[in-house]
Amino acid sequence: MILNGIITGLIMGGILSLPVLGVAVIYGITGIPNFAIGVIGVFGGFLTWYFLSFNMGIAILVGVVFCFAIGYIIQRILLTPISERGGDSTLFFIVTVSLGFVFEGLMRAIFPRPSISLALPRIGTINIAGVTVEGFKIFALLFALGTLVIIRLLEEHTEIGKSWQATSQNLKLAKLIGIKTNRVFSIASGIGCALACVGAIFWGSLYNLNLMTGWDLGFLGFIIAVVGGIGNIWGGIISALIMGMVMSFSGYLLGGMWQSVILYFIVILVLIVAPKGILGSERSL
Amino acid sequence: MKGRYEKIGTILILLLPSLFVFKGGYLQEVTGYVYLFLIQGYVAWFLFFKSGQPFFGYSVTMAIGAYATIVLTEMFQWPLFVSIFIGAVLATVIAVIMFLSTSRARGFYVSMASFLLAILFPKLIEALQPITGGRSGLYFGGLTALVGYKTLYLLVIFLTAAIVAFFLWIMGTKTGRILTLISENDRLTQTVGLNTRKYKILAYSIAGFISGFGGALYVNYTGFISSVDIEVFTTLYIFFIPLIGGSKVFYGPVLGALFVILIPELLVPVERYLRIFFGLIFILVIVLLPEGLAPNIQKLLRKMNPKRA
Repeated sequence: MILNGIITGLIMGGILSLPVLGVAVIYGITGIPNFAIGVIGVFGGFLTWYFLSFNMGIAILVGVVFCFAIGYIIQRILLTPISERGGDSTLFFIVTVSLGFVFEGLMRAIFPRPSISLALPRIGTINIAGVTVEGFKIFALLFALGTLVIIRLLEEHTEIGKSWQATSQNLKLAKLIGIKTNRVFSIASGIGCALACVGAIFWGSLYNLNLMTGWDLGFLGFIIAVVGGIGNIWGGIISALIMGMVMSFSGYLLGGMWQSVILYFIVILVLIVAPKGILGSERSL
Repeated sequence: MKGRYEKIGTILILLLPSLFVFKGGYLQEVTGYVYLFLIQGYVAWFLFFKSGQPFFGYSVTMAIGAYATIVLTEMFQWPLFVSIFIGAVLATVIAVIMFLSTSRARGFYVSMASFLLAILFPKLIEALQPITGGRSGLYFGGLTALVGYKTLYLLVIFLTAAIVAFFLWIMGTKTGRILTLISENDRLTQTVGLNTRKYKILAYSIAGFISGFGGALYVNYTGFISSVDIEVFTTLYIFFIPLIGGSKVFYGPVLGALFVILIPELLVPVERYLRIFFGLIFILVIVLLPEGLAPNIQKLLRKMNPKRA
């Protein structure tokens, strides 16, 4: 049971780490807490489901590209101008939650079904120390960890990554040396929303997606990022894996109803005891 | 003087719908519902906008008042008024604990802790289904069975007006002025020798008690509560009441409650598009009219009638 719980927890945490990465990338670079990314990601998941009967690759691409574009546009026309006018975290909280309302409403209005499951091909099963695990779940976990490594490599070794770092560390200086900071912000927001979409696609394939999943993924993504130290990518991933295990074991021991209760309770405790998260935040809210 | 007229005007406007009791029906029912949320809206106006305390747990304090009233009355057979009082006291305790436990954190982290509590609480209610009824909820006769629906409606109107009058009064007192000072510059207030912690605890206590009392009133009026009624969006809608209406004028939350609570009631036939409409309106108001609707309506009226200005 313990091994089963660990594996389930790691996989849950792995999938959750995608929206967490989205939150971390957006917040780490723009300094804006975006609470709508879960809903935008699930909107992308619904789009993928809609086009799935045509071609799987194109369907996934449509969802991910759409989310990137939405992330880019909302940052460009809404969030960056508010930030330039001196908007604080509370204002961004309200604006991004309102954006979430819009996308949740669009899902309700456009798509014929309120709850869907994405039928992606399965990869068979793998036996780990006597526990049979779906290959697709292992793929989801590896994909999440791979994405983290790619983002870290991008950040350290590419021009784009260096401009991200410069923008997040000193905005004025970054502008002075000619970095188009508004573009950097928009790309970061686009990547964050695209990551949330990939997370939603995995979630929709392993469990299901409904109109509220976006809020759950977004809020979970955000609180897990807070526990890890918001804006701190490594902290976010460690926190996602730990929280995945907390959900898995509390589910086994106390039943599914208590999963979220225990999770949120722990997060509130962390906020009270260590407000800057497990590994500390690279920015302060 | 102008402020006094504005306060009296606000209270008189609030008392006007008591006339609906003669008409009864849907109008009366929905007005009572708007007023129950108006109480919570004024709690947010007082605590967040006037005292500067970053609290987002309004649905939690409201729910504690409501559930405590039902559980103590129905399961423990306590007298109704004692249960309502205990419910309000419990909500006060939770609000103060929330403040004390997050006092090491700053700004948005405090908001987040109380907001997470607002996400956690309905899930806790669902996990405690044998006692709370979870999503299926609990039915409650309460005051309706005792005094009848029309009397209860009038009671809701008068109690709301009394609560609003209390908030308007307290903001004019020395305590209110110190709370305003804290919201504008906490450190400066400490520097001049004031014990800001004491005043903050007082603000949380007042807000918690009235929110809990409002929750008890809510469940007596509606006769039902479930985890769906207190989900996280409830806290957001409560917060939007003074934000959309305008927190700088006394009657701002009244306008906000009409907008945030009444419009969804009237737009039930097009419920499918409600969230899109609301999301867009919220964004537009926040971006284009950051002071809220009331001050802008005032400006518009002055432009239309320049002689009065």
